[in-house]
Amino acid sequence: MGDMIPISHFSARMRSAFVALGLAAALSAACLTNFHRAKRDYAAGQEHAAAMRTEQAVASWKRAADDAGRASLRRPSAQSYTVKGLAEANLGRWREAEASFLKAFSLGFAKGESWAADAALAGLAASFAEFGLEAPALRMYAQLLDRSDFRPALMFAAEKRTDLVLAGAVGLEPRDRDRALSGLNKALDRLIDRDFACGLYHYLHAQVDGHLGDLRRSYEEAVMARELGLPAEKILRDNDNQLVYCYLRLRESLPAAEAEAFAAAHARWAGQWGWRDARTPAWKKE
Amino acid sequence: MSKKSLEAALARGVEILNGFLPLKSWLIFPVLYSACVWAARRVFDFRERILAWQVWLDPDFVRTKPDEFILAFFCGHEALGREYADEIARGDMRALRAAFPALYPIFGLEDVFLKALFKAEIDASDHRAIVVAFASRTAKAVEDIRPAAADPEFWKALFFAAAEAASLGLHLLKDEEVQNMIVALVKKPAGAAPDLPPDA
Repeated sequence: MGDMIPISHFSARMRSAFVALGLAAALSAACLTNFHRAKRDYAAGQEHAAAMRTEQAVASWKRAADDAGRASLRRPSAQSYTVKGLAEANLGRWREAEASFLKAFSLGFAKGESWAADAALAGLAASFAEFGLEAPALRMYAQLLDRSDFRPALMFAAEKRTDLVLAGAVGLEPRDRDRALSGLNKALDRLIDRDFACGLYHYLHAQVDGHLGDLRRSYEEAVMARELGLPAEKILRDNDNQLVYCYLRLRESLPAAEAEAFAAAHARWAGQWGWRDARTPAWKKE
Repeated sequence: MSKKSLEAALARGVEILNGFLPLKSWLIFPVLYSACVWAARRVFDFRERILAWQVWLDPDFVRTKPDEFILAFFCGHEALGREYADEIARGDMRALRAAFPALYPIFGLEDVFLKALFKAEIDASDHRAIVVAFASRTAKAVEDIRPAAADPEFWKALFFAAAEAASLGLHLLKDEEVQNMIVALVKKPAGAAPDLPPDA
């Protein structure tokens, strides 16, 4: 009799157990919801980016980073930190991405450490470039291009390095300039070999070819870039301008029969892209 | 479409945005106009476009172009070709290359926000003034918009203003008409903040 527990005490304990259980379930559901939402938004961001809907992609990645951040606070996991880091990397928030990948690594994601290092290097290179220290920035971008397998950092480094090398080549003697640009193109060729379906690499190649005066290759690369997709509206427009420029110059320089065949082929592409005519992309005169 | 109801919708938009951009009314025109263009032309995805807006000048395309490309750009644009006829004739690539970074995003890539930001100069065909003011005005725009941009309510307000205007048939008007309508509304409130860019 002495061991009997008063009913009121029992029910109070039951009540708190139920409350605790309910709370745990609610928290876990919220956490799950945040994480699932983060994954869904990250995937949506990738889809938008592939379809050149940059602003939507950015919005999706921002939501993914926020949701993954909330999920990580509630229940830290390698997955939630990885999604957070990926979204941050796509948004160019390299320092935050580095921290997220390191946490993912500490929770068991094996690649987290190298991705964190790549994110750190990308962020550092961007800071150097911002302060006008182009030589170290170039070295860091080159290092990323040589050894990284983390796509967002690779794409970032390819774009920035191309920009810096082209800007630096403007004042060089023709021979030095051609040597610098040929070296750049070789690096871009290696990237294309590794990831042929990345439209950005073909766009960059087309730009460098334009500087080297190889307009035929530039045109082909720009067509490829447009077909494979580009990560931003402005890049798409710039690529279209490159296409028009190459088209006009090539048509002038080719022998009559070849020029005619080329014009017909270009007209087919232009029709496929919904251009108004061979030299007017649909977005002109917005 | 009733022009009056459209004007009233834009006026509401201007009034609400005034609350987010106090004393920065010169920014309301480019912000609202570019939102309206997207609202009218890309109805299905513009909400996220606007909510995703970061800055307008993110360096995402290759800015260094070969001389021939720059020349083709100037020669291929009627007004620019006229304005820079001397430089083109002299083959003065230094001058053309210096002007290119300001003029290409506006006339080559047709950036809606920049077109609105330099409307006064574009209307006056004063292309050299764009080149002179480009760096400072765009930097100031980004700086001035930053506090408002951090507030999600700002984007929501902008979205609703542009969406309402779009739903009232904004796309049926010419670009210039929409621009003039917003400019007139921005200038309207007596004693309100500067309605022109600070260095214009």
